[in-house]
Amino acid sequence: MSLKNILENFSYYRRDAEAGGHHEYEHRFAMAIDLDICTGCNACSTACYAENNLPVVGKERFEAGQAMHWLRVERYWDEIEGDYPEQGAKMIPMMCQQCGAATCEPVCPVAATYHTPDGLNAQVYNRCIGSRYCSNNCPFRVRYFNFWSYYEDSWPEPLRMQLNPDLSVRDKGVMEKCTFCIQRIRNAKDKSQREERPLVDGDIITACAQACPTDAIVFGDTMDPESRVSKAWAKHQIHRGPVTAKKQKADEEIRGYRVFDELNVDPSVMYLERVRDTEV
Amino acid sequence: MKIVTLKQLVSMSLFALAVVLLPATSFAELPVPSHITPPVGEHVGEDVPQPIEFPHNRHVKDMKINCMYCHTYARRSKVAGIPPTSKCMGCHKMIATEKPRIQKLTEYWEKGESPRWKKVHDVPDYVHFTHEKHIKKFVFDADFPVEDVQQVCGLCHGEVREMTVAEKKKPLNMGFCQRCHEANGGPGDCWKCHK
Ligand code: SF4
Ligand code: SF4
Repeated sequence: MSLKNILENFSYYRRDAEAGGHHEYEHRFAMAIDLDICTGCNACSTACYAENNLPVVGKERFEAGQAMHWLRVERYWDEIEGDYPEQGAKMIPMMCQQCGAATCEPVCPVAATYHTPDGLNAQVYNRCIGSRYCSNNCPFRVRYFNFWSYYEDSWPEPLRMQLNPDLSVRDKGVMEKCTFCIQRIRNAKDKSQREERPLVDGDIITACAQACPTDAIVFGDTMDPESRVSKAWAKHQIHRGPVTAKKQKADEEIRGYRVFDELNVDPSVMYLERVRDTEV
Repeated sequence: MKIVTLKQLVSMSLFALAVVLLPATSFAELPVPSHITPPVGEHVGEDVPQPIEFPHNRHVKDMKINCMYCHTYARRSKVAGIPPTSKCMGCHKMIATEKPRIQKLTEYWEKGESPRWKKVHDVPDYVHFTHEKHIKKFVFDADFPVEDVQQVCGLCHGEVREMTVAEKKKPLNMGFCQRCHEANGGPGDCWKCHK
């Protein structure tokens, strides 16, 4: 990058994060997950296993922290509302948040994880050398490392017939994580190109959103102002980019928040807080 | 500096001359479509023995059958597709039935089996090449005559019309793809092909 280039395109390089920063985005895929209607049924997690060739690792490896669930449904208790026996657990589906300013990207020594023009945080398996820096730098702990070659024991014949051919089966020594079902995004884009029309809201549905029985997960493009997810983000006053000031949420109806927003990682997943009327 | 003797010079120039002239004398090179900057690279693939030695040259060069007549999925999907035996039998019920290869094929057909054709142009599982998009861009969107489609296919598959059993003549590695993507304005995003 020459000095001339910087001077000539100064305003471009100084664009703030709300305007996309230094990226030329075609899409910015995002989610809105309503925790009030999520029942914690784990259907989303199961769907992700089936869609993305995730290995079932077994008890011992799970205990060793080697589970490969790209989407895990976590239980948590709020301090304010009381702890375990007094209060039932709350559930939160936690997957890669596809951060706009992802902390995993700059630490990868081989650039196997990078930002795509779709606003996604990509993981290129064949480039990954397994240093695990990214996983250690992820505040959400949503990156999973293949400590073993799981394909031998996870899909014995004839189970391997169920593997999804649209994405690879990862081998030992490779990091992986939720991709926002990139194979579905690509297929939907190919289809829209074939039909010579723009991509519209609802063309792409991720496996987790498709499987959710209560429709708690909404997936879409925040660059399309008409999409369901854009409207949800706007309604709950969540915006792209870093947090500038503490939000004033006077209205009870506004429940949106992003996990670890204060770290300024610009996550692409908005959660809607759970509302409780009575103690359970 | 390396000193080149006259003898070396003569033999070198003779060699260069031969390289230039030989292909022209043996057979005509497949023309490169003018709207494409061709990918560069050569490769000598291993022999892939097939259950029946299918003569591509007979079908493509002598009979002038379009690639997409048999590999019909190329324009519709990721994979070009190996034709089903019924496609072969569509012609070979009547044509050349006395030839031993056709008789072998008819045997398969009558048993209700298909020959186990082997894959020649295989890329690793983490590479997701799409035939459809390439055909769309370089043939249909470019108004390139469909009857000459082998010129486009040949950029990656070599001169299939000169082969009997298909051979891998191009490296089909990432450098080969990427250089062509750069020259022809293809995507450079890793996640377009790897996922
Ligand atoms: S978007 Fe796809 S990859 Fe990500 S958690 Fe949902 S199903 Fe899994
Ligand atoms: S499938 Fe829906 S309701 Fe069930 S845990 Fe996932 S988000 Fe919650």
